[in-house]
Parts: sequence; C-alpha cells; structure tokens
Amino acid sequence: MIILENISKSYGNHQVLKDINLSFEPGKVYGLVGENGAGKTTLFKCIAGLQDYDGAIKSHYEPLKNHLGFLQTDQYFFTKITGREYIQLLGNARNIPVKDMDEKNIFDLPLDQYASTYSTGMKKKLALMGILLQNNDFFILDEPFNGVDIQSNIIITEIIHQLKALNKTLIISSHIFSTLNDTCDEIHLLKDGQLVKTVMKSEFGRLEQEMKDFSIGNRVERLGLQKTV
Amino acid sequence: MKYYFKLQYTLLNRHLRDFGLPPWAGYLLGLLLFIGLSIFLFARVDLAEYVYGFLAMGILLNHGSMLRNDFIKSCYLRSTYLKIRLIENALIATPFLIFLLFKHCYLAAGLLAIGVVVSAFINFAQNLHYALPTPFYKIPFEFILGFRSTFLLVFFAYFLTLMSIKVDNFNLGIFSILLVFLISLSFYANPEDKFYVWVYSFSPKQFLLHKVKTALIHATILCLPATVSLLAFYLDYWWVILAVQGLGCLYLSCLVLAKYLNFPHQLNLPQSIIIGLALSFPPLLLGIIPFFYTKSVKKLKEVLS
Repeated sequence: MIILENISKSYGNHQVLKDINLSFEPGKVYGLVGENGAGKTTLFKCIAGLQDYDGAIKSHYEPLKNHLGFLQTDQYFFTKITGREYIQLLGNARNIPVKDMDEKNIFDLPLDQYASTYSTGMKKKLALMGILLQNNDFFILDEPFNGVDIQSNIIITEIIHQLKALNKTLIISSHIFSTLNDTCDEIHLLKDGQLVKTVMKSEFGRLEQEMKDFSIGNRVERLGLQKTV
Repeated sequence: MKYYFKLQYTLLNRHLRDFGLPPWAGYLLGLLLFIGLSIFLFARVDLAEYVYGFLAMGILLNHGSMLRNDFIKSCYLRSTYLKIRLIENALIATPFLIFLLFKHCYLAAGLLAIGVVVSAFINFAQNLHYALPTPFYKIPFEFILGFRSTFLLVFFAYFLTLMSIKVDNFNLGIFSILLVFLISLSFYANPEDKFYVWVYSFSPKQFLLHKVKTALIHATILCLPATVSLLAFYLDYWWVILAVQGLGCLYLSCLVLAKYLNFPHQLNLPQSIIIGLALSFPPLLLGIIPFFYTKSVKKLKEVLS
C-alpha cells in the first residue's frame, strides 16, 4: 500500500500540485489523466523521489524508490550506449543479474545498436523492458503507449494485466482513453494540480464523454474550417 | 553568420557565468591555463610538438561532429556553412598555432594549419549503427561512453608507449600512461542525468564506492597495454611505473567523487579550484579525497535515500 498525504509542490510562486491525497493498493491499476501541464509528471516525480515536495508518502516498501520501476515520458539515453548495455546498467543498479536478454527481448529490439538511434516507440519499449527486468513491485508508467506501434500496444496492455495478476501496483498516465479503459481499475482526474475526481471502472464511459465535452466544446467550430469549393 | 557567432559568444559567456566566473575572468583564466599547460608539456615531453598538434586536431575533430554540422548546414547556405566551419576551426587552432610558432616548430604548425582547412570540409559521419566493442560491457556507463568518444586518443597514447620503447625514452612512456589517465578523467567531467543515479538501490556510500571501484578497475584495464609494455622493457623502473599508476588512481578517485559534490549540477568555482590545487600538488589528494567523499555522500542522500 502506498499512501500520498497532502502532496504539494511549488516552483517559486507557481503551485503545480495542491494537497493531493491518494492511496494505491497492490494488485490494482490506477490511471491518472489530465491536460498537459495538469501536474501528472510532477506528481510521478514526487512519488519517485526525483523531486522534493511538501506532504508525506508512506509505503511498506522501504525505501519506495528501490522497488519502483519508473517509465518516464521521455527517457534520456546516453548517445553511445547500446540497448543491451542500457538493460545491463539498469540490472546492475539493482544488483539483479540479467540473464537470457535475447530471450526476454519480446519487442525484437536491435539490442546491439545504440539506443539513441532508436525511434520514439523503440526507446519507450527499451525503457519498459529495463524496468520490467528489474523485478519491481510498483510501476509508474508515464505515457507508456506514446509512439508505440499497434502490435506493441497490445503486448504492453497484456503486460499490465500480467503485472496486476502478480499483485503489483501500477499507475499509468495516458492521453489515449481507450488504453486506460482496457487496463485501469480506477482513474484519477487531475486539473491545475488538484485532484478533482476519482472514477471507478463502471463509470469510465461517462468520464470519457465528460472529458470529450469539456475538451472539445466549441473549439473546433472556432477554427472556422471551410468546405473545399 | 554574424548572428551565429554572436550567439556562440553569448552561450559561452552564459556557461562561464553558470560556472561562477565573470566572462572576462574566464577568458583570462583559460588563457593562463593554456599557456601554463603548454609550457609544462614542452618542458617535460619529448616530441611535444606532435603530441600538441595531435591534441589540437583531436579538439577540432571532436568539435565537428556530424549532428552539429548537419544542424548548421540546415540553417545556412553551403558557402556560409563552410565559412563558419573554417572560422571556428581557425579560432580553436589559433592558440596552438601561435605557441607552435613561438617554439619554432614550423613543420607541426604547418601540418596543423592544413588540418584546420581540411577538417572544415569533412563531415565526420558517426556510424551510429555500429557499436564499437569495449572491454567494459559488464558495468556499462562512463568507460563505455568515454572510450567510444576518445578511442583515437587512447590509441595515440599506446602509440606513444611504443615510440618511447623504440627511441628508448622512458619519460615519454610515463607520459603515455598519464595521458590514458587524463583521458579517463575526462569521462567524469559532467554529472549524469538524475535518473541514472536515482535508479540505484544503493546507499550513497555504497554508490560512491561502487563508482570509484569501477573507475579504478576500468582505468587499470585501459592502461594495461602501456603499463605492461613499459614494465617489459624498463623493469628496473617498475616502482616509477607503479607509482605513476597509483597517482593516476588517486587523481581518478578524486574526480569520481568530485562529480557528485554538487549533483545534479556541474561543479562550482570553489570546488573546481580545490580540484585544480589537488591536481597540481598531489599530496593534497590525501586530504581532499576523504573530504570530497563526505561531501558527496551528503549530497547524494537527496537522491538515494
């Protein structure tokens, strides 16, 4: 169980997170949605301990970061490190011997090429493979489906189901609602750094409609697009 | 083109200010350091003019990476691009050329001048689909990345070892070992992305010891061809060779620890001055290494605890 108590974060006078209270149970998948700049990535970084914050994060994992696999939106890769070496580095960092790397290369990545030459989707898959081979108990997946092809999308969804079945805790952010619909038990809606709504699986359809109505509104009409003559 | 150079000047000044120096002081300090190191090299090393020329060419080639050049190409006409590259190369090489002429090393200066012009026309394509194999694959990071960026310089150091044996110049051989260590020190010049420290499940102390141990093992491996060759031909001086090796290890430990003094930021000016003092007066290392260790442990607690 991971409990977030009154998590707040400010950059100077600009408050990006305001009194976030949440709890995450093992064996459950949580979605976090919100517009760009709503504070999702900041909240993830606070949970990971990559950024300082006000409030408290309690967990039976001590320290939490050593049990956390954090898939960042834009994972930084060194210019001259191969995919294989990246996986080795992540394994070394947790004292976990990485065996049968080729067998576990389920995304068929060119592991002996420099990771910096990979496409966006391949980088995402490599980063995901790295944290999966670390045997973490808790996962934060920030935009795991971004830039990933349809086949890999299906595999990632299946991986999430498998992790849930293994009693792991997952928090996922995604701008593609259907991916959250397929994987999450609960979705939390973040707006301007505040948690405005928590929705259970049975209400996902209504949330999607609400988000569509709110997001689209009359914005497209305002563009004044015209028919081709 | 004028705007390009104005922008480069602004960026350089910004770096100097971030480092904690007013730009004028940075330029003055850079000039004094350059002159001091040049005098030192010519006083201590035989065939210094060629080592010097090779270092200058190394900087030129490193500066002209394909990604950077492609970006400039995409912004300007081809003729302007070539002018930019020629001017940049000339600016980099001018201090080296002046010093070579001052030392009456006309042949080396001429070769460097040719290098300045020729390298402006070459776009050094990096074959990013072929990964250069290294002996450091079990603990990948600094030495893998560093070796792949500087392998030409490393092989040049080995070439100097061979030359030292061929012309029976022991000092040149010792310089080649120091050069390998100097190259290794450069692998620790910049702090890594915070994620690559955070991801370790080590305590700050374990993390630093792991980093220092890895650096020393890898540097020893990198020095091995030079050290073994020198030991084979100058066995009587084994103690000098091992002492230099030991000194190199102390320098390296100092730099590894220094990397995390101000993590995740670059070193600030006072920290750099302490390192400069330690490098110029090695006995200070015995006090500075434990001091850096304590300070870095404290700093890393923010990320690793």
